[in-house]
Amino acid sequence: MNSFNRHVLSAAISAILLGLGGMAQAKDVIKIAVAGPITGPVAQYGDMQMMGAQMAVEQLNAKGGVDGKQLEAVLIDDVCEPKQAVAVANQIVNDKIKYVVGHLCSGSTQPASKIYEDEGILMITPAATNPAITQQGYKMVFRTIGTDDQQGPTAGDYIADQIKPKQMAVIHDKQQYGQGIAEEVKKTVEAKGVKVAMFEGVNKGQTDFSALCTKMKSENIDFVYYGGYHPELGLILRQCREQGFDAGFMGPEGVGNKDISAIAGPASEGLLVTLPADFSADPANADLVKAFKEKNQDPSGPFVMPAYSAVQIIADAIKGAKTEDPVKLADYIHKHSFNTPIGKVAFKENGDLKEFQFVVFEWHADATKTPVK
Amino acid sequence: MLEFSQQIINGLTLGSIYALIAIGYTMVYGIIGMINFAHGEIYMISAYIGLITITALTVQFGVENVPLILLFTLAVSILITSAYGWTIERVAYRPLRGSPRLIPLISAIGMSIFLQNYVQIGQGARDLSMQPLISGGWRFGPEDGFQVYLSYMQVLIAVVTVLFMTALTLFIARSRLGRACRACSQDLTMTNLLGIDTNRVISLTFVLGAALAAVAGVLISLYIGKINPFIGFEAGIKAFTAAVLGGIGSIPGAMLGGVILGLAESFASAYLLTEYKDVVAFSLLVLVLLFRPTGLLGKPEIEKV
Repeated sequence: MNSFNRHVLSAAISAILLGLGGMAQAKDVIKIAVAGPITGPVAQYGDMQMMGAQMAVEQLNAKGGVDGKQLEAVLIDDVCEPKQAVAVANQIVNDKIKYVVGHLCSGSTQPASKIYEDEGILMITPAATNPAITQQGYKMVFRTIGTDDQQGPTAGDYIADQIKPKQMAVIHDKQQYGQGIAEEVKKTVEAKGVKVAMFEGVNKGQTDFSALCTKMKSENIDFVYYGGYHPELGLILRQCREQGFDAGFMGPEGVGNKDISAIAGPASEGLLVTLPADFSADPANADLVKAFKEKNQDPSGPFVMPAYSAVQIIADAIKGAKTEDPVKLADYIHKHSFNTPIGKVAFKENGDLKEFQFVVFEWHADATKTPVK
Repeated sequence: MLEFSQQIINGLTLGSIYALIAIGYTMVYGIIGMINFAHGEIYMISAYIGLITITALTVQFGVENVPLILLFTLAVSILITSAYGWTIERVAYRPLRGSPRLIPLISAIGMSIFLQNYVQIGQGARDLSMQPLISGGWRFGPEDGFQVYLSYMQVLIAVVTVLFMTALTLFIARSRLGRACRACSQDLTMTNLLGIDTNRVISLTFVLGAALAAVAGVLISLYIGKINPFIGFEAGIKAFTAAVLGGIGSIPGAMLGGVILGLAESFASAYLLTEYKDVVAFSLLVLVLLFRPTGLLGKPEIEKV
């Protein structure tokens, strides 16, 4: 049977079974791709993103969807690998999905964003913070999170003003995100007269850092900033503490994850982390937090609320602009502001948020965090 | 000077693990002249078995006796991993015996991908982590200056490695089966003609290699405490490098190669930059192969006529 016959047959069957109303069923769904790591070493962040996006989809659907149409989240795994992200982006293009919430890692968001821009797909990343992503002159790319040129100075100022180290080390994982934020921090602290005695990269996936720990110890480093993700920092902390290297450590939001305590154990006590403000503590979000808690989910992760907000912005834009054309929606999003769980948001010309705050948190061995200052 | 000795300790610990894995590569190569690319995955599987057994013993059954946990875990891991080694040989290599060299090589790569995905499906693709079972150690040096730290775990790794290496060396040198192994590596066909069951010897080689990889896997899950289904690839490449560096086919060569590689990585991170450690390690390999194509302790392969 050729495909034309099959279509006619299925149309006939559905017409018989459901009446003619049933035929429009497939067109009444608005698909949103949620692309991020579902597997791999940083999949925990993907969980936060998927959790937030799915909650938004469920709640919007419960309220009757968008203009009578139901939303559907399509979860796609990019393992946080740039190569895989390109394949995922092409898959989204082929599936004719017009909106993307993602990707998560900056390294995979960058190559994927080009495809979305070229194909006229609306992309909102709830997590990628590398500044370069929105410096490509793209019209279809947005983010509901701050950038590393906001986060870097927040961390750098805190180090220079509060910690005042004598000999500091800046270590990074040579990835777009990790090295980017490490360079921002280095720039900020050096401008304030802090001496950065070591600036070097480690390999992604490396497990033995004992030589690095010995080196930092022998150079009398008294504070370490690490740009990267938690699997490497967890091991660095554990191995350095074991060797008796007791300097303070700080990292960006890519290390702020329960797994850092699972890996480093007691060594994760006192780690400083810059994260977006804890939106789940905002009284305005109490109902939403309750909804997460009822599903036994933790809404305090850094990317949960930004992902929720990204879906909501897409839905609000469709309602407001009265169109599903992603190019027109992008234009609408540029011109309007939105009330979301991360606050009232408006976007700059390049797709960055007009305002976003990073806050310094202190991490504890039992995987909880408390804001400092 | 104190920093230097700390770096030697770091390097030797790393090198011991490489050496244990490298022996598996070198023994198989020495006897049937093929590179068992699935060997890294055997190590990864044993790291999983180690982590699961230790967690089960400590959390599930509340065992607190550390030497007992260690012995039991090593025994379980060696047993199961050896079975994997034996099965892999049986399924993926024995049916291809006598075919051109490239074919078992491809079969090995396939096996490696299969095992990686198998663990990924069974255990999940995420990192598993475990808190150290053995913590603490000795400190040497001035109270207010740089102190050299030698952890009990590092000592354990060194002791276990030396123990198993000695046992293997004695086994190869003294026992009947060891003699058969040496005979096979000299001339497989001739050994067969003399009435030795070479298939059995080859199986034994895989089992022995897997057992040593099991020891390495348990030690690494104790020492590093974080594993995922992909650790076998990198460790495999490093151990293979160590085997080639020392002279593939030579058991003492694999031990030496492992230690040299570990030290090279440690010194590269210490005196150059951490990001250059792999560059240094592999440049060393290139240099050794340029001047000694058979590796440090390897014997040149004589074309048998």
